[in-house]
Amino acid sequence: MTFVHGKNTFISLNGVNLSTFVDTSDLDLDSDEHDVTTYGKNSHVVQGGLLGGKATMGGTYDNTAGTGPRAVIKPLRGTVVTLIRRPEGTGAGKPQDSVAVLVKNYKETNPVADMVKWTCEMTLSDDVTSTTQ
Amino acid sequence: MNLAAVMDQVGDRANTITGLRVFRYPPPQLTPPGAWVDYPDKIEFDKAYSRGADRMILPFAVVVGKVSDRTARNRLGLYCDGAGPKSVKQVLESGVYTAFHELTVLDIEFDPITVAANVYMGAVFTLDIFGKGSS
Repeated sequence: MTFVHGKNTFISLNGVNLSTFVDTSDLDLDSDEHDVTTYGKNSHVVQGGLLGGKATMGGTYDNTAGTGPRAVIKPLRGTVVTLIRRPEGTGAGKPQDSVAVLVKNYKETNPVADMVKWTCEMTLSDDVTSTTQ
Repeated sequence: MNLAAVMDQVGDRANTITGLRVFRYPPPQLTPPGAWVDYPDKIEFDKAYSRGADRMILPFAVVVGKVSDRTARNRLGLYCDGAGPKSVKQVLESGVYTAFHELTVLDIEFDPITVAANVYMGAVFTLDIFGKGSS
């Protein structure tokens, strides 16, 4: 086993590879939690429920026509599309997560003394398909 | 980004300032007013996934004459202006480049600079350059 650097991460949305525009991304997998504690217990007892989660990504704004983050993501707000994320990059034997996501938010931030940045927030819809490339 | 290409294109653009002789590398000697694109303080790799972007902090030095010379001070002032035909910031930031995407002049530091054993009053501009990691 080895530690893995984040620089090779692959991420695509709706079939468009956005990796070279992205400098941070998260895939946050969680589940509902139901409290099933009964009388007589000294501690909470919980049970898992439906799975869910959210994903985020962000990076430096690029105005490349057709494939830049603004051109790709902004029109997808409110729609459910496929997110593919490869946390160790692309290569045989490496893991891949594929999941439908609702594109909830696309945000651009313009600091006066730095590059224009962007972020995107997505809510997972249905199961995450985890495979080996 | 290719270092030599970046330094050449920054130098080419700066050379459009009338009266300023610009070298694309540190010169062995020069006659003021002169300038050169220096080697970068650093190059930061992997500003995006998959070699998407790199960043380079590049010094650009201008020397104008003797430290105690009033004409040198007035001349340096024109190069350090925030705007104007001799403003290094305005000229460099308005350039169109193919070796990188974006150039911002962040700041200027003032110091006597020695070139070929001659001491000149100088200004060193810090250029923040952002471009593709792999072309």
